[in-house]
Amino acid sequence: MKHHVMRSAGVAIAAALTLAACSSDDGSSSTPDDTGSGSGDEPVTLTMSAWSLDSTPEFQLLADEFNAINPNVTVELQEYDAAEYDTQITADLSAGAAPDLYILKNLKYFATFQDGEQLVDVSDVADGVGEGNGALDFYEVDGATWAVPYRQDTWFTYYNKSLFDEAGIAHPEGAITWDEYADLANQLNDGLDATGSYQHSWQSTLQGFALAQTPGADLFSGDFSFLAPYYDRVLAMQESGAQTDFATVQTNQLTYQAQFGTQEAAMMNMGSWYVATLIAQQESGEAEDFEWGFMPAPQYDDSTLETPVSFGDPTAVGINPQIDEAKMDAAKEFLAFVGSEDAASALAQIGIKPAFASDAVTEAYFSVAGLPQDELSQFAFGTHETLPENPVSLDTAAIQNILNDAHSAILTDSVSVEDGIAEAQERVANEVG
Amino acid sequence: MTMATDAPAVREVQPGGSRKPRNAMRRRNTLIGWSFILPNFLGFGLVTLIPVVFLFYMAFTEWSAFGDPEFLGFDNFTRLIGDGSFQTSLGNTLYYSVFHIPLTLVAALSLAMLLNTKLRGVAFFRTAAFFPYITAVVAIAAVWSQLFSADGVINQILGVVGLDPGVGWTADSTLAMPAVILVSVWRDTGFFMLLYLAGLQTVPRTLYEAARVDGASAWQRFWNVTWPCLRPTTFFVTVMLTIQSLKVFDLVFLLTAGGPGQSTFVLAQFIYQKGIVEFEYGYASAGAIVLFSMSLVVTIVQFLVNKRIER
Repeated sequence: MKHHVMRSAGVAIAAALTLAACSSDDGSSSTPDDTGSGSGDEPVTLTMSAWSLDSTPEFQLLADEFNAINPNVTVELQEYDAAEYDTQITADLSAGAAPDLYILKNLKYFATFQDGEQLVDVSDVADGVGEGNGALDFYEVDGATWAVPYRQDTWFTYYNKSLFDEAGIAHPEGAITWDEYADLANQLNDGLDATGSYQHSWQSTLQGFALAQTPGADLFSGDFSFLAPYYDRVLAMQESGAQTDFATVQTNQLTYQAQFGTQEAAMMNMGSWYVATLIAQQESGEAEDFEWGFMPAPQYDDSTLETPVSFGDPTAVGINPQIDEAKMDAAKEFLAFVGSEDAASALAQIGIKPAFASDAVTEAYFSVAGLPQDELSQFAFGTHETLPENPVSLDTAAIQNILNDAHSAILTDSVSVEDGIAEAQERVANEVG
Repeated sequence: MTMATDAPAVREVQPGGSRKPRNAMRRRNTLIGWSFILPNFLGFGLVTLIPVVFLFYMAFTEWSAFGDPEFLGFDNFTRLIGDGSFQTSLGNTLYYSVFHIPLTLVAALSLAMLLNTKLRGVAFFRTAAFFPYITAVVAIAAVWSQLFSADGVINQILGVVGLDPGVGWTADSTLAMPAVILVSVWRDTGFFMLLYLAGLQTVPRTLYEAARVDGASAWQRFWNVTWPCLRPTTFFVTVMLTIQSLKVFDLVFLLTAGGPGQSTFVLAQFIYQKGIVEFEYGYASAGAIVLFSMSLVVTIVQFLVNKRIER
């Protein structure tokens, strides 16, 4: 496995940073609450896993910002394939060839790494990170913390303001419920050539919300009846044409970027990463030029409109237990940095939604050129409760695979909602655990 | 294609250098032989043989890639028997094989007979028939996916005769498997046609002439001359097709990803999912051994049947 540091990344970052062209200097100021203990005089080089350096500037940014504060510590990136990342990092960890620090790309496999003793206990770092980092709790097992999140995506509803105007429908002013969303989609659909709503084929576009929002919903209870109202609603929307049906999305291999970016749909639920993508694509001409904004994802009922509930998986950094003991202090300092408000502000400036939330971070985020400046977008970004898409357990991957089968079966009308859910429950009882 | 050249290459070397003592000669030949085999064999040993041997050990353990595997005995295999997904994947694999093998065989043979004539431009058509086989499977899946969509070309053609199913094939639980079979027959026909073409060249012309003199019809000539003469080719083709069908993965994965639901979920995907996706390497290995054993048993049976017919 030879994944060498790609120096060319710097060039790519320069390109990606055009997003953040307006405010570039404040990141290099020193942190006042620097834990300070390990940054001695001897130079330390830490290695860290990363992927797609050409299009993913966040890793180099974290490395550079940290190096600016701690000139003795250099973080070198070891590049992996983005699509096969989990498999490759598993192989490297197993073979003892993994870097000192590695990224936990999603929460789904965190349990596997933690249970497999591939993470160093970083509870001492976590204590210093602070309240603002809302995703830190997800990495707690048996009272100890095993990784520090730097990024926390959440799901919004993107809407095309130009198409709303064209249909003569007022722009939304606050969070809405799913039933209101379905009504709105139907209204838009009637007034436009475009469809009212686009929902990508991923199971998370439906199940992620159902799990996060339904009171009492539990992935490990073996009872998936909480999915039923969400499927009934989407099937009705497919029926009425307010939402492109699942089969078409699959067989025509539609991409969500094209559907929303070329104004084929007026609304779309998608992760916060799409903000930066859409800005970049509008700039490059891949997406059409239109006014847009984002609002909180639709809610289960009106009890959560003040603090909308959404879902999303955080991205975290963990320490490989095989790290040279002499580098441990520097590694922990780096972890303290990635979870901090300083790192968050720097990440926000390139359009990433950091794990640490504060007014300063929100301000930094909305300084990105091309971002909608309306109040609803700011509210959506700053106020929400985000629950994990993949709650931590060794059974998560297996259960999600079974629910994925149910998802495609139900949405293609291969089975009824009840039968599809019943079958999934039976399979989980039979095959998992 | 290995069958075309049987053995003589090595033997011809020996009578040449009669001056040197036989032993030195033999040693030299052995060394030369080894030097030819070694690079390939080293690669095979490192990336295929050793992992496969390790697989037989892993199948009896529980292992998540970290730490030491935990020995379980036959637990993985008893779990497989009761696993609904495994049963479904086994059923789907057999469904696929039962149609894929004979359909490809018939299509390949028909095409080979058609292209075994001395027509102008036949070389072009032979090449064209081989194209699907060398085309990247990702591209094949992308294009066929479009063709199979609800308003795609295939449904439009079917609509002319009033048979438009009104749904995308790959998004329908009953049509998804036929769609997969259709595409794989289309893809594999070219390769097996080539084998049959080679086989057809070996049928002696004189037999046809004799049959014609005896007043045999075209069908009788095929049934009594072509088919028996092609038996070694057919045997080879059947063995290859069977193994290929049992371990089908890439096309299904790209075309339907096993769905909708589990309607095209095959054995190889079960192994992939348990191992690579769910990190249950021991359990996945047990599945792989079942697949291996199936291929082995079917091949042995085919060998035995072939031998009996030969006698």
